[in-house]
Amino acid sequence: MTPIACECRDLSVAYREDPVLRRVNFCVPTGSVMGIVGPNGAGKSTLIKAMLGLVTPLAGTSEFFGKPLDDVRNRVGYMPQSASVDWDFPTTVIDLAVMGTYGELGWFRRPGKAERARAMAALEQTGMQAYASRQIGELSGGQRQRAFLARALVQVPDLYFMDEPFQGIDAKSQQAMIDVLKDLSAQGKTIVIVHHHLGSVLDFCDHVTLLNKSIIASGPGEETFTKDNIRIAYEASDGAEAFLAEAG
Amino acid sequence: MPKRSWQRRGKAAMDLIEFFSNHVFRMVFFGTTVIGIVSGALGAFAYLRKQSLISDVIGHAALPGALLAFLMAVVVFGINGRNMLLLIVGAVVTGTLAALFANAVAARTKIAIDTAMAISLTTFFGLGMLLLRMIANNPYPGKGGIQDYLFGNAASITRADLTTSVAVGALALTLMIVFWKEFTLRTFDPVLSTMLGFRARVIDTLMFSTIVIAIVIGVKAVGFVLMVAFVVTPPAAARQWTNTLPGMVALSAVFGGIGSGLGAYLSISLGNVPTGPVIVLVLFSIFLMSLLASPKRSIVVTALRRVRARKALRRELMAEGRNP
Repeated sequence: MTPIACECRDLSVAYREDPVLRRVNFCVPTGSVMGIVGPNGAGKSTLIKAMLGLVTPLAGTSEFFGKPLDDVRNRVGYMPQSASVDWDFPTTVIDLAVMGTYGELGWFRRPGKAERARAMAALEQTGMQAYASRQIGELSGGQRQRAFLARALVQVPDLYFMDEPFQGIDAKSQQAMIDVLKDLSAQGKTIVIVHHHLGSVLDFCDHVTLLNKSIIASGPGEETFTKDNIRIAYEASDGAEAFLAEAG
Repeated sequence: MPKRSWQRRGKAAMDLIEFFSNHVFRMVFFGTTVIGIVSGALGAFAYLRKQSLISDVIGHAALPGALLAFLMAVVVFGINGRNMLLLIVGAVVTGTLAALFANAVAARTKIAIDTAMAISLTTFFGLGMLLLRMIANNPYPGKGGIQDYLFGNAASITRADLTTSVAVGALALTLMIVFWKEFTLRTFDPVLSTMLGFRARVIDTLMFSTIVIAIVIGVKAVGFVLMVAFVVTPPAAARQWTNTLPGMVALSAVFGGIGSGLGAYLSISLGNVPTGPVIVLVLFSIFLMSLLASPKRSIVVTALRRVRARKALRRELMAEGRNP
């Protein structure tokens, strides 16, 4: 049996009185690229946030590499949906990437030359080295995402969580990021990625989870990403119908 | 009135030698400059965390704390109630309570944070005004000049006050430098900060303490009501000139220090003018200059650029033979 990178058991989340997730059991095999797919409001981001403790679940537990998150924080990276930070913050792209080293530095210790060199290498990986000394507010949407991906790479985690990384970005940035994802996957890293564009899910995901408040199906892409499952998950919404019609 | 013992008439300004050879003037100058530097530097983080208004809450809510500290000292311990350290402790307690109350209301109810802050601010300040009247109506020893807590009296700064300001200010600045990395990450990206295992509550408590210190440090010289300007205005001006955090904090400290020193000098050489308000006006001038003249963010340059772009567009359209 493949080892498990992360899993949650009976995870339930509610915002005020509205249930968002109901008894979700979710598990990601090590080395897989898992796409989480579902309609708006299905709880995709919430699932990730609840597993990472960024949202407090009503019930349920999550484990990473068989341990609670606090024991393996350095092995887990998270790339939030963009626009969640103040883009006018006085910081440059290289400083942003250096932040990825803060976890292993711990309290008090400051980043030095070695950390800056690593940050620069990560910026090269995402094609952002030319922008290293730019203020982050001067970047385009795609460049911002690539800068954030570089920061996640600097952390050198074994497991990446990415929340809609391709939202609102240009084709060049998307291609640069997909290349990095494939690279990471080839190195045996595990990637969990929230994605909303049905047409491109199987381009870079080998596993798929269809979610709509609870798990509809989860496993290898060819077994789970079926018309029937998509129809159930999307409750026959227009977007999914169009996709299904196109797919034939 | 002791406050105006140094009042001057006749000459419009005095020379620097005359200024610095006077002990009271020196105390006013160095006292306010220290306050300006400390509040300016620490205010930068308050600005970036978008907590400018919370410093106003802390400032107003510090009044009842300082007065309660005075009462405690005089009634319970029988010591001098106007001791600077004691005053700071009292101010920190109620200032913190008010800010926590506002945050708790906003977090647990549907009442928005601005409403919660306004309620907290006015309630604590009202309580402070009540205590002030109570103290004024009773024969407590050493109560003379206690109404200066509201608007300050720079001429009352003693050497001991200056020493306390320097010590407390240095402590707060040290906290900021030691936890620079943690403060920065928590301010810029609280989610990553949590993800990397930094305890939010520890960092928030430390940051909050520095902001409270930045405000209460100026109570004697400037008073609680105007202190918020020392915390808010210098960073807002500094942000116009620099794109790095160390640059912003340093420049904010410089603006705070220069604005306070210059304001103190002006208020004394102009004669019968209170120091705190003059400093606030000088800080505002620095802010205004920064809005107008900073290279990248100047509103003048931005407006000119738009005019030029519009003209260029018109020329292009004319060249293409279309009516603009």
